[in-house]
Amino acid sequence: MSARVSPLREPLILGNKNYHQITEDICAPTERAPSRQWIIGFMIAVAGLGLYLFSVIWTVWNGIGSWNLNRTIGWGWDITNFVWWVGIGHAGTLISAILLLLRQKWRTGVNRAAEAMTIFAVICAGQFPIIHMGRVWMAIFIFPYPNTRGPLWPNFNSPLFWDVFAISTYFTVSLLFWYTGLVPDFATVRDRATGWRRKLYDNLAFGWTGSAKHWQRWEALSLVLAGISTPLVLSVHTIVSFDFATSVIPGWHTTIFPPYFVAGAIFSGFAMVQTLMLVVRKLFKLEDYITLQHVESMNKVIVLTGTIVGVAYLTELFIAWYSGYIYEQFAFYNRAMGIYWWSYFGMMLCNVLSPQIFWVKKYRRDLWVTFFMSIFINIGMWFERFVIIATTLARDYLPSSWSYYSPSWVEIGLFVGSLGLFFTCFLIFARIAPVVAIAEIKSILKTMGDQYTGVNALNKKHDDHDLHTEDAHGHH
Amino acid sequence: MRHNHFTFEAKQKNVFIGMMVIGLISLIWSYFDNTVPNHTRFWTNFLHNAAFFTGIGFAATFLIAAKITAYSGWHTVFKRLWEAYSLFLLVGLGLMGVVLVGVWGNLHHLYHWADVKAVAGDPILKGKASFLNKYWYTLATFGFVGVWYFFAQKFRKLSIEQDNASLDTRYPIYLTAKKWGAGFMPIAGFTSVAVIWQWLMSLDAHWYSTMYGWYTIASWVVSMIAITILMLIYLKSLGYYPQVSKEHLHDLGKYLFAFSIFWTYLWFSQYMLIWYANVGEETVYFRIRMGEFPILFYGNLVLNFVLPFLILIRNDTKRKTGSLGFIAAIVLFGHWIDFFQMAKIGPYKSALEHHAAAGHGASHGEATHGAVVADPHAATTAPKAAVHTEETAKTGHATPAPADAHVAHEAHEGLTVASDAHATPAKVDVMEPDNYFHYNPDLTPGFAFPGFLEIGTMLGFAGLFLFFVFGQLTKASLVPTNDPYLEETLHHHV
Repeated sequence: MSARVSPLREPLILGNKNYHQITEDICAPTERAPSRQWIIGFMIAVAGLGLYLFSVIWTVWNGIGSWNLNRTIGWGWDITNFVWWVGIGHAGTLISAILLLLRQKWRTGVNRAAEAMTIFAVICAGQFPIIHMGRVWMAIFIFPYPNTRGPLWPNFNSPLFWDVFAISTYFTVSLLFWYTGLVPDFATVRDRATGWRRKLYDNLAFGWTGSAKHWQRWEALSLVLAGISTPLVLSVHTIVSFDFATSVIPGWHTTIFPPYFVAGAIFSGFAMVQTLMLVVRKLFKLEDYITLQHVESMNKVIVLTGTIVGVAYLTELFIAWYSGYIYEQFAFYNRAMGIYWWSYFGMMLCNVLSPQIFWVKKYRRDLWVTFFMSIFINIGMWFERFVIIATTLARDYLPSSWSYYSPSWVEIGLFVGSLGLFFTCFLIFARIAPVVAIAEIKSILKTMGDQYTGVNALNKKHDDHDLHTEDAHGHH
Repeated sequence: MRHNHFTFEAKQKNVFIGMMVIGLISLIWSYFDNTVPNHTRFWTNFLHNAAFFTGIGFAATFLIAAKITAYSGWHTVFKRLWEAYSLFLLVGLGLMGVVLVGVWGNLHHLYHWADVKAVAGDPILKGKASFLNKYWYTLATFGFVGVWYFFAQKFRKLSIEQDNASLDTRYPIYLTAKKWGAGFMPIAGFTSVAVIWQWLMSLDAHWYSTMYGWYTIASWVVSMIAITILMLIYLKSLGYYPQVSKEHLHDLGKYLFAFSIFWTYLWFSQYMLIWYANVGEETVYFRIRMGEFPILFYGNLVLNFVLPFLILIRNDTKRKTGSLGFIAAIVLFGHWIDFFQMAKIGPYKSALEHHAAAGHGASHGEATHGAVVADPHAATTAPKAAVHTEETAKTGHATPAPADAHVAHEAHEGLTVASDAHATPAKVDVMEPDNYFHYNPDLTPGFAFPGFLEIGTMLGFAGLFLFFVFGQLTKASLVPTNDPYLEETLHHHV
């Protein structure tokens, strides 16, 4: 990486930091007693987790009959939640892998938390298909093991089965990627810790010493994992979209689904990253590392992917008319004007129209607007999946089987409770691990620190050749 | 900087003019090759190349806008190339204008929907008539491409202004360009698909796919990257662009790789979903391509996926001009082939059907036509196809299918079209997929694969494109001299 930085680039690390201060600032939240806000948040999250466990037990004990699914609408909130959580689980790997390949330096401020978010979101997502099985102890049937029941399971022709592989592979690789990045940072925390904390982090750091060989292998592994993750992150939501698009159900079967689902997933994932980062930067006082510039960049990704999703919505709508196929035409008429019209308009409003506010720089950099919008978008993306699933199923080919569906309290409990599961995991992560990648943020200090670039640096531009860092990681 | 001003030498001019002459001769020649009626060979060749090269202009404009918006710096050293391509949109407007004149004057039968008689007897085309018509075609061609050109020349103007501006570290001109760039993105997103539906997807007027627009855009973008690589290698060999290093070529190679994979991803998604769902209205598109145009169908995949994937996956092949130039040339040709299969097969089919219909009197002709329309549906077992056939039957344009299909085969006898089923006409059952109507182009050059005339036409259009681009390159310094990202791009390191 060149140390020559365009004067148009804004600094990504504020406060005239040096390497030591970065270590201090980022390790601090793991070293002091939890703040009151953290404890309150954690209690709420654990309460949600309790609700989740209760709802799961209720479902398993009483069977799927405790949900309001019916013969026509066999997929309801459960699959909606599944797709929603998987979608959210896209941003982390996108930020860490694709933005790494694209040499985007602003990723360093948010990649660690985004990757953690990915992992927890995928954990939440994976719950729903399993609970939906009803008899969860039969979950072994999804694995292709040699069985004595004849050639009945699993059905390799089914995208639902591809999902099992796509998501478990994605989860494994994301976990490896995340943990690989954490190893040197755990070592940093270890070196500062004493007592039982030192022991804990010593184990977590896998004996990292920071030797040149360690760094060399670490970098090679990161690149290999980035290379593997990039097609993986695309494949996951592509295959989720296949769950719908391979069918012959009007409204589901359309060829644009794979890239459109991926764009939507990045969209909702970034919104969730925004929600989390805005809280984290405030709670842990990391405003110098997760700057307005980071927030603005992510808002730009949001307006971009939101508009891509908008193009896809309108393309679908247009081609439904263009196809001349009456059932397809009806499916889209039904979405906008049928019984679930409110969810369609909710989706359009939250996903396509409202993100357009981010065309205005002032709002891109406004934390309250961003926070509000990030939640709004995830409501919209939930609606999108609900529209695709429930609206479509409610109006079958046969009017005699038309139906309506609203969730039972168990289904609502599962969804709300899964948020509890997610935030419990995330809050524990934020206590234990450095929420900003220390090693990686240090690698951009000499190019993107505010003493080296931006307004402060303009006067002494390029007169100091010591600033050149050929290998950014050589500075530890 | 040395060599920062490009000279368009007489020798190069002569070569490009020579190419254009070859192209012109090929076009004239193909006009008189009427084995497929309505001068279809000539018109498809013209549309194919006009859409392909205009699209390269669009891809360049789009990437300029995207790069400005995303604070991209590394490409700045050669961005004048993209500016030159983007201005080709004006020429593309003229070229597509010729096709447009053909639509208005009924000079060709590229578009089934433009045939008033055919539409009158076809409920599906009637349903699309409020989009597939001359007025929309005009709006897309002149209106939308005009808007693209407006943005292209805006970016160009601001970029040159920046060269001559006094140094201001806030770069106000660049910031203006950023506003225009961001504004162009959604405009490009919405208009490009509409243009593609009009120009290309409507060639197979009955068929539809939501993916088609993005798929085509991906093809344009890959072609644009490939041309950029070839152009840089050539210009460097002349001593220009000493600042363009292996690092820049490496990144362009990554782009070529990434966008080739992206194209394949879209190709696969479209193909797989249509194959899996097996709805007759949709599968007919691939069935014809796989069954009757296998050279194009499989060639497309080998040239645009297999070869770039295997060659570019290595690191070193992206850094050596030999291997990078080689694969860029292959991929460029490959995407030209991709557009060939988009532009040729629909008109080929509809020209033959139209001719068959016209040759058998009005009422008979319509019945024949109805049969051909219904034909693909008969090939499938999907329930939706039956629905569609029923619709056709209601409007009274299709008598029982087997007999009619036979008529259709007979009608084609005099043409270059042969049918496997023809040998045993008495036993034809078009409900059997194997007996489904075959166009069977065999080795008809210019349709089953590009013949000499197609290669000649390509050379002609390429000559025009290069002549224009080289002309534009002389009008500004090759490397922008005052760009905010100049330092970054000159010291780019992958």
